[in-house]
Amino acid sequence: MEYFSLKRSTAADQGQSNLSSKVYVRSTKSGKVQKIVREVYLRQDIPCSSNLCRACLEIAPTDYSQKVSPFVLSDTPAGSKKFPNGQYLVPDTNAFLTGMDLFELETAFHDVIVLQTVLEEVKNRSLPLYHRLIALTKNEGKRFYVFFNEFRQETFVTRDSGESINDRNDRAVRKAVQWYNQHIAAAVAAKSPLSKRIPSVAMITDDRDNLRKAKADGIPALTLSDFVSGLENADELLDMISAAQEQREVRSKKAEMFYSEHYSISKMMTGVKAGTLHQGIFNVSPYNYLEGSVHVPAFDKSLLILGRENSNRAVSGDVVVVEILPKDLWKTPSTKIIEEETVNKNDNAEADDGENVTSERERKALQEEVKRVHGQTAEGRPQPTARVVGIIKRNWRQYVGHIDRDSVRSTSKSSRQQQTVFLVPMDKRIPKIRIKTRQAGELLGQRVLATIDSWDRDSRYPVGHFVRSLGELESKGAETEALLLEWDVQYKPFPKTVLDCLPAEGHDWKVPASTDDPGWKNRKDLRDLLVCSIDPPGCVDIDDALHATKLPNGNFHVGVHIADVSHFVKPNNAMDKEASQRGTTVYLVDKRIDMLPMLLGTDLCSLKPYVERYAFSVLWEITPDADIVSANFTKSVIRSREAFSYEQAQIRIDDKSQQDDLTNGMRTLLMLSKKLKQKRMDAGALNLASPEVKVQTESETSDPVDVQTKRLLDTNSLVEEFMLLANISVAGKNYEAFPQTALLRRHAAPPKTNFEELGNQLKVKRGLELRTDSSKALADSLDKCVDANEPFFNTLVRIMATRCMMSAEYFSAGTQAFPEFRHYGLASEIYTHFTSPIRRYADLEAHRQLAAAIDYETLDPSLQVKSKLEGVCKNINVRHRNAQMAGRASIEYYVGQALKGKDIVEEGFIMKIFSNGFVVFVPRFGIESLIRLRDLATPEPDAEFDAENYVLNVKGEVNRSVELFEKVQVRITDEIEESTGKRKVKLTLV
Amino acid sequence: MAPSQPAHVNLSPAELSFLRSTLSQNPPIRLDHTKGPKDFRSMRAEYDVLPGANGSARIALEDGTEALVGVKAEVEKSQLKPVERLEILSFAGGDVDMDMDMDGAGNDDESSGKGQNSWIEMSVEIPGYRDDDSLPVFLASMLTESLLASGELKDRLYINRRFHWKLYVDILLLSPPLSYPLALLSMTTHLALLTTRLPALKSEKDEDPLFDDDWDASVNLYPKQKGKKKTGQSLERPPVIVLAMAVGSNIIFDPCKEELAVADAVLAIACAKGKSSSSGARLVSLRTIDPPSHLTPPGVPNSMNSATGGVAPTTSAEALTQRELLATSGVWTPPRGGMKRGLISEVVKMVVQSGGIADEVIDALEAIEVG
Repeated sequence: MEYFSLKRSTAADQGQSNLSSKVYVRSTKSGKVQKIVREVYLRQDIPCSSNLCRACLEIAPTDYSQKVSPFVLSDTPAGSKKFPNGQYLVPDTNAFLTGMDLFELETAFHDVIVLQTVLEEVKNRSLPLYHRLIALTKNEGKRFYVFFNEFRQETFVTRDSGESINDRNDRAVRKAVQWYNQHIAAAVAAKSPLSKRIPSVAMITDDRDNLRKAKADGIPALTLSDFVSGLENADELLDMISAAQEQREVRSKKAEMFYSEHYSISKMMTGVKAGTLHQGIFNVSPYNYLEGSVHVPAFDKSLLILGRENSNRAVSGDVVVVEILPKDLWKTPSTKIIEEETVNKNDNAEADDGENVTSERERKALQEEVKRVHGQTAEGRPQPTARVVGIIKRNWRQYVGHIDRDSVRSTSKSSRQQQTVFLVPMDKRIPKIRIKTRQAGELLGQRVLATIDSWDRDSRYPVGHFVRSLGELESKGAETEALLLEWDVQYKPFPKTVLDCLPAEGHDWKVPASTDDPGWKNRKDLRDLLVCSIDPPGCVDIDDALHATKLPNGNFHVGVHIADVSHFVKPNNAMDKEASQRGTTVYLVDKRIDMLPMLLGTDLCSLKPYVERYAFSVLWEITPDADIVSANFTKSVIRSREAFSYEQAQIRIDDKSQQDDLTNGMRTLLMLSKKLKQKRMDAGALNLASPEVKVQTESETSDPVDVQTKRLLDTNSLVEEFMLLANISVAGKNYEAFPQTALLRRHAAPPKTNFEELGNQLKVKRGLELRTDSSKALADSLDKCVDANEPFFNTLVRIMATRCMMSAEYFSAGTQAFPEFRHYGLASEIYTHFTSPIRRYADLEAHRQLAAAIDYETLDPSLQVKSKLEGVCKNINVRHRNAQMAGRASIEYYVGQALKGKDIVEEGFIMKIFSNGFVVFVPRFGIESLIRLRDLATPEPDAEFDAENYVLNVKGEVNRSVELFEKVQVRITDEIEESTGKRKVKLTLV
Repeated sequence: MAPSQPAHVNLSPAELSFLRSTLSQNPPIRLDHTKGPKDFRSMRAEYDVLPGANGSARIALEDGTEALVGVKAEVEKSQLKPVERLEILSFAGGDVDMDMDMDGAGNDDESSGKGQNSWIEMSVEIPGYRDDDSLPVFLASMLTESLLASGELKDRLYINRRFHWKLYVDILLLSPPLSYPLALLSMTTHLALLTTRLPALKSEKDEDPLFDDDWDASVNLYPKQKGKKKTGQSLERPPVIVLAMAVGSNIIFDPCKEELAVADAVLAIACAKGKSSSSGARLVSLRTIDPPSHLTPPGVPNSMNSATGGVAPTTSAEALTQRELLATSGVWTPPRGGMKRGLISEVVKMVVQSGGIADEVIDALEAIEVG
């Protein structure tokens, strides 16, 4: 009987060695479990990518233009003591996981071969590290080459029976290193037979077994720390190795566990699906580091998480799974300020034998808390509390902080002894991080960037490692960089690929003279309109300009002209991608971090006066009563006649002697804007307030000299009204054209519970009623919140009301129902951002959509795909918020600097009251600061807190009571805040 | 039961009569004279032929009949009884003893008796037949019956109270059914199931199942014996069906097409080797199969043939009595079926006894997989 087999794999050895297969199990989201068989076709034309090798150059695959992609690895790689002829490094997975910060160094670690096996393992183990590794391979200067060893016939290894995946992968790495060594040796021999300089290809691994096997096979291999030790400034570099690894080995003998074990993923998933466990993002209260909250979809209010045991190693920002605690453990949220550094001052970073999760002092603080809660009656309803049982996703980033002076044993700079110290992060919600360093002496008094590596059950604090030092505490450079890092602002210069997208003419670019030029196609010539711009003084990125003329029928022709950025930034090129990443321009006191390169932002797009510029115009016909007759949208060319500052414009309008057409046009605009504003207010728009101050800086050194609150002129609101009008008009047009994908901005109505506390406070303290059923009702009742004796009281209430609001957000039209589009604050049905495309990416997208809506050009596919647009919205929402926070942090820093060494008595208002302190807001400087009881006198005076009436009766020497909304005189001095190392304004009661 | 319609054997009554008489000799002489009554036809077998399936096997017989079986497993949600559902919900709360067993304490095997018949689905495909033709339907039901009857297979599919594996057994006859293919399909299915592997479970108790993504870590549906010495503890293996036919007092196993055409009766005997019986096999199910011999044309004896001077019977009743008298005369008469009790028990004994046919077949099939 003739025998043949259906199997391919058994016959594979006979002439089919380029075929192999990979078998694994895939579990899909829907719960299916599949056996997957992937066929692997092995090739011989994957190049080694070393410039030493000519053979690979000939076989390497070519692109459509018959070119081989350029080889990456240098022909003269750097050498070291062990490999004097130079080396190519082949790190294994753990080397990348523990030493990613090292590999990112500019000064070392060049010519690295990243094996496909390793890359895939890194991807499975940590996605953020994988992205960083990918970024490294794209960095030309670093010369990282991804070698697809699993597809190259010579380096492919099949898994032996009984071999674990890890062992197989280690073997694959060794095999690749072996092949590389032979290959490079052969390549050098072929090039110049006499050459003695043959670079070694060295494996970097910390796995002892792997090292032993490599040694047995004669493969060059060494540990990461061995390699780093051979480099310059090895001490600093050694600190940058992740602590997670060694930690495990040293600690394994100890059995004491501080935290309970996390549930298995499957257990958590089952629980979440069944509704008995809940998933959400863990947030820590900025006032009390022991109190966290998790908002879960199942409940309206957040669940409280009290104490370290319950937060079970979650760090603010992590996605966690929680379990609700029994009802007898429910608590009210704390009214007490608990700060880590005051409670745990004396922890020793080195010794952790005597550590408890809750230290004695912490326990005491919590006890008092409980007592207080139990003593309460009606108002203090206990809230459900929960316990973290597992963590779905860590959102650890790099944290800026400083080294805790008390945790450093020897401060001598010369000592190179490794010691464990605490890094106190700037963000109070992040716990102290335990760090091993050999340079403790030097790092004291510096801003330090560090990451968290792990948090094991047997360690009270997370363990991390040093990344780099930003510079001296308090120095402008270090502090600015610190706040940019904390708010994740991309501040590196634009890469070359982005700059390549700029027009070749550079600053000489001009609007083409001939109207036959393609740039003029479908563009209206509006150069004869009397257009001007009104901006803050010193503004260089002028987004918008306006004009108004009277029509024969008595109506007005009004135009808002916006810089035509979409003409210069085409979708999906490198510049567009960079801009969409950055999302917005970030304004710091002394610095602006642009979304678009300078050339565009401050010159070619900017609607500078006296020159012709491309613009995107919104033209209305408006009746004298400010009713809109018609709206038109067109791309145009304009020539701005003048660029005013708010003040200049105000002076010119007020000056009766000026009767030229331009000034009269501005008067018309002002008249219309007032009517528009009134209409808006009548519709229920809110007049909200935020404490805005301006720091005046010396022009040369940009050292702050004074702080002022911003003054608002009529011209401010002139510009604002027309920008709002333009945004609303454009939003309507875009929504009409793209009901699914129009990029809009909404401001959700705040839930009533948000106002509960403020309403109660107003009722108790002032007998006022805050009505929140609609924005109109809220606006009206806010108007009534006045105190005849205190003009500022109204503003104070408005500031507090603003904090109860939801934040506005970008979204694509298809994701919400039309009634949800509403902008609560502006009382507008629909809204978008259109008027600042130089500094906001959302506006740029709106421009593109509008251009397509008026058939000027076709819409890029990226703006038609809902999912992509949602991604863009998500990113710009985050960037927008971060930019605001960074801006505020910058002002805070400069206010601190401006008040440096000063001693002023100012008036302030009590905004928030705790059982052991209160928050005072000083309008003059726009600062709010905490005054603790212990700041009032030493020893800390006793106090009685009447939570229902918001009164704190301080006893002892001080003997006075403090109540909410009270006007107090405070003395302002400055001090360096111990916990963050920031210079902060310190307030004391006078 | 199943009419084996395809087996149209082109043999004349005289040939049939000759074949029958040789088979009923003692010892019988089979069509392939080198084989004894218990000998199986030679076959080629291989397993793991389909890389994407959880288990697969192919067996080709020397006469050209060839079968391919693939086994696929999918995770499926179990239908819960209301009582159980309550209990599981309270489990997720984390405060109920998790190994509560409804059937009471002392039951060490959690999954026993929990399997359901619907967890195995079988389809048989035979070239030239529609899937609702009687042959594939009967074959499928007989094969399913034998798999379910032992009870063990479906229990193996239990994951936890909320989930189970659903097994799809796809049987494909690659050639036309030259002989009655039941035994072949059964052996191929046996081999496929024996080599079936399921992903290794990582989650515990009643959680949503989570599996190891390493295929090498997957577990056999039928766990292998550890060490050949402890044969007493051999674990259950899937059942296998053997075909036996009776001619007179002779019993012949694995009959070929022509032999079937003269069978008095045909039996399909499904057996499994269980851990309960230390030696020999366990009878799982027994079916008689309507032999194709019924459909063969009878020979006409000279006495009834007018052409040879005989007298053709005038009524059918007369014909019947005359035929009755002719039964032993050597003229071919289709057998009327039926089997003596003694014969059945003899067949069963030959199959299940220690070292009997079932032992032989099952061990041989396992040897393929091990070797």
